[in-house]
Amino acid sequence: MNSLPARLAVFALVAAGPLLFVVAPIGSFLVMSFARVEGHQIINDMTLDNYVAFFGNWVYLKTFLLTLWLCAEVTLIGIVLGYPIAWFIWRRRARTRYLLLLLFVLPLFMSYIVKIYTMRSILGLNGFLNQILVGSGILSAPSLVFLYNQGSILITMAVIFLPFVILPIFLSLERIPRNLVQASADLGAGAGTTFRHVVLPLSLPGTIAGGLFAFVLALGDFITPQMVGGPSGFTIGRVIWSQFGLAYNWPFGAAMGAVLFLFALAVIVVAGSIASRQRV
Amino acid sequence: MSLSSERLAATAAGFLAAAVLAVLYAPVVIGALFSVIEVTRNGINWGGFSLAWYGKLWQNQSILDAVRTTLIVSACSVSLAIVLSIALALYVEWEGAIGRRLIELVVYLPFLLPPIVTGLSLLIFFANLGISRGVATIVIGHSVFVLAVLYRLVLTRLQSLPATLFEASADLGATRWQTLRHVLWPQLRSAVATGAILAFTLSFDETLISVFLAGDATTLPLRLWAMMRVGFTPEINALVTLVLLFSIALAIIVSLRMKPEGEMEE
Amino acid sequence: MGLSLKAVEKSYGAQRVLQPVDLEAADGEFLTILGPSGSGKTTILRLVGGFTRPTGGHIRFGGTDLTDVPSHKRPFNTVFQDYALFPHMSVADNVGYGLMVRGMAKAAIRDKVVRTLEVVGLGGLLDRYPSQLSGGQKQRVALARAIVCEPKLILLDEPLAALDAEMRRHMQFFLKDLQRRIATAFLFVTHDQEEAITMSDRIVVMDKGRIEQVGAPGDIYYAPKTPFVARFFGDNNLIEGNVRDGRVETAVANFALPAGSRAEPRPVLVAVRPEKISIGGADGGRTAIACKVEETTFTGALTQLKARPLAAPQTTLLVKMTSDPGRPLPERGAETTLSFAPDTVAIVEVGS
Repeated sequence: MNSLPARLAVFALVAAGPLLFVVAPIGSFLVMSFARVEGHQIINDMTLDNYVAFFGNWVYLKTFLLTLWLCAEVTLIGIVLGYPIAWFIWRRRARTRYLLLLLFVLPLFMSYIVKIYTMRSILGLNGFLNQILVGSGILSAPSLVFLYNQGSILITMAVIFLPFVILPIFLSLERIPRNLVQASADLGAGAGTTFRHVVLPLSLPGTIAGGLFAFVLALGDFITPQMVGGPSGFTIGRVIWSQFGLAYNWPFGAAMGAVLFLFALAVIVVAGSIASRQRV
Repeated sequence: MSLSSERLAATAAGFLAAAVLAVLYAPVVIGALFSVIEVTRNGINWGGFSLAWYGKLWQNQSILDAVRTTLIVSACSVSLAIVLSIALALYVEWEGAIGRRLIELVVYLPFLLPPIVTGLSLLIFFANLGISRGVATIVIGHSVFVLAVLYRLVLTRLQSLPATLFEASADLGATRWQTLRHVLWPQLRSAVATGAILAFTLSFDETLISVFLAGDATTLPLRLWAMMRVGFTPEINALVTLVLLFSIALAIIVSLRMKPEGEMEE
Repeated sequence: MGLSLKAVEKSYGAQRVLQPVDLEAADGEFLTILGPSGSGKTTILRLVGGFTRPTGGHIRFGGTDLTDVPSHKRPFNTVFQDYALFPHMSVADNVGYGLMVRGMAKAAIRDKVVRTLEVVGLGGLLDRYPSQLSGGQKQRVALARAIVCEPKLILLDEPLAALDAEMRRHMQFFLKDLQRRIATAFLFVTHDQEEAITMSDRIVVMDKGRIEQVGAPGDIYYAPKTPFVARFFGDNNLIEGNVRDGRVETAVANFALPAGSRAEPRPVLVAVRPEKISIGGADGGRTAIACKVEETTFTGALTQLKARPLAAPQTTLLVKMTSDPGRPLPERGAETTLSFAPDTVAIVEVGS
């Protein structure tokens, strides 16, 4: 049972599914990124054309950089808002703590498409926000400024992805033994000192994980930009998606997907190594 | 001095939490509101309360079909992921296992990567193999996506079980199969159930992968997306409210099951 | 024809946790493997139970080779240190598990479980769950679960370690009594010498993956064969010395070589049990040692005295005697004479 051929056989049996449906697809899309389209045929002659087209065209590159900037903003908003909230939840007594946590985590379970839709219905021309503002006389007529621009993408993403940031931060706070905090106070450290030297470093891995979630989710999102960004709200995800739809240039879409994939992988690896260097 | 500044920080964080909570739930409340109240060009008609739109949903065949497809997809992908996650967790805990890290990486990757990557990679993979897209391809996409959640929960539970439990079973004369059935499965059952509900919720709402793999099939989120591109209708609001209530109900079940152990992991 | 281990050894990679070991256990014997942690005692138990495979040697029972027989086909049952009760099963289901997997009829299982629980003194607890039981009760359920299948040999892995002192003493007698009643061999693993002496027919003392000595409790106690055994059994006074011309010479005292000891000259370790030393009198062939009293401690039934021989002040002698309120004890710092009979001394070989 424990001989090497037997072990290899068991490995092959168990890992077949994940390898076939995770590794092989990633491999095939990376291969596709070196192909090109001629008419309606995809011809694979291992060309770098797609990458040249992407990096050589300022429009695409700019979209990519703007997307990164957008993701960074979403991440930053997520951490700036999420950390104090997670900290606030953590300091509650056991009963209210889990009720509050449930309230903040519930939106994770709410349909993503529905959240986008409701955000759009709030921000839109006939939306709730305009109704309120017009009704209360602040605006004389409904305004379009709330929808179909980069700002509306940012707001929507921040709202949708914030719970993804709060949960890991809370979980890492929750893992800090309470007596560590008491020990610090006992040794004469003030609340601020304890926070800086005990709570903050120990909750850093969770904060990084939360930020990572927000960043990666924002990076690949293509429905939010389409639904609330309007014609001007283009992100790299939306550009990739369009290659598989109307543009029908799969190899080019795959190449941009590969760039996105490698970038996301790098972010995950870096965040993972920072988090594990905290030795928590 | 420092105590009062801490209290100040707590109060500020409390206000922030309240404000954010309002923002997070406003869409839900507003969606629910608009599903029973009429919105016209001239504004909100507060007097026109009606549940009629909920009734109309039942006559919309395309929505009912989408709901049915979604339920089939979720049930199949969760079942597949359950079997696979138990096999993988048992394998990783087995002393003769090789490539543990590789397996864990492959299991977590589709959950950590942007869904668009999982979606387009499977799309290209199936296209290369000449497999036409449909319910089966969505099921596979969802399976690899929700596998991480189930795997994590099953593995955590498995690692918390003392090895002597299985030794005792063998010692008392049970075969491997009997041990699996009488000792291991009862111990894993609750973790699997929790993971299954969680995975079901994820699969039920999944959009970004499905959109690549659906072909002619339509799941509920895809149907909703198509409806939304056309415009706002109270019918959508009614549907949206029902979907949200369903998700929330599942989420509350999960959280009640998870709270005692606190074993939710990132 | 009971259990027999021939040259059984176990390594994990380059690390050998068990040197080749030979061991026999007779039918109906209470055999204890005694040793500190890391001595290999639990490894032997796990090898016999079939939870790990030996890297060499053969395990036989009643003439049948069990070396490659999986755990579930061996005619042994185990009481685990953490009891390993199935938390999702009632007491009755736990005890009946071994019968259930063998396909016994439900009614017959119930019957046998009830009888077995009575044997271990847990009559009314059939429908409780492990989480509702005390440590001692869990212990008895684990025992009942092991004996219900009527194994040829019961393996016990430090089963008393998790109990408090009172309960432990109680369970020692209970276990010994149970073993006699069901007339089944016990292979008992412990690090507690008192437990080993109280319950065993024979004791196997182990250290660093090797067997140091095998023998009846009295033999091990009074005639340790190796320095490790002499040290492991509590408070032995150990004095370095030499055998020469039919006598034992130490810095503390010289005395005649006890009967049965080899006469050839060599360095040895002299082990004198504290209760074999008494205050006063060199009469009747006893060896006398002039000492200075270090301290006396009243511990209840016994009184302890620590003293340093005048001839060898770097050595401390421990004396244990029955407490007697009528008898005055020497003061701290006073000089007194201690004595022992030479034939109560154990000569321990230091070589090899």
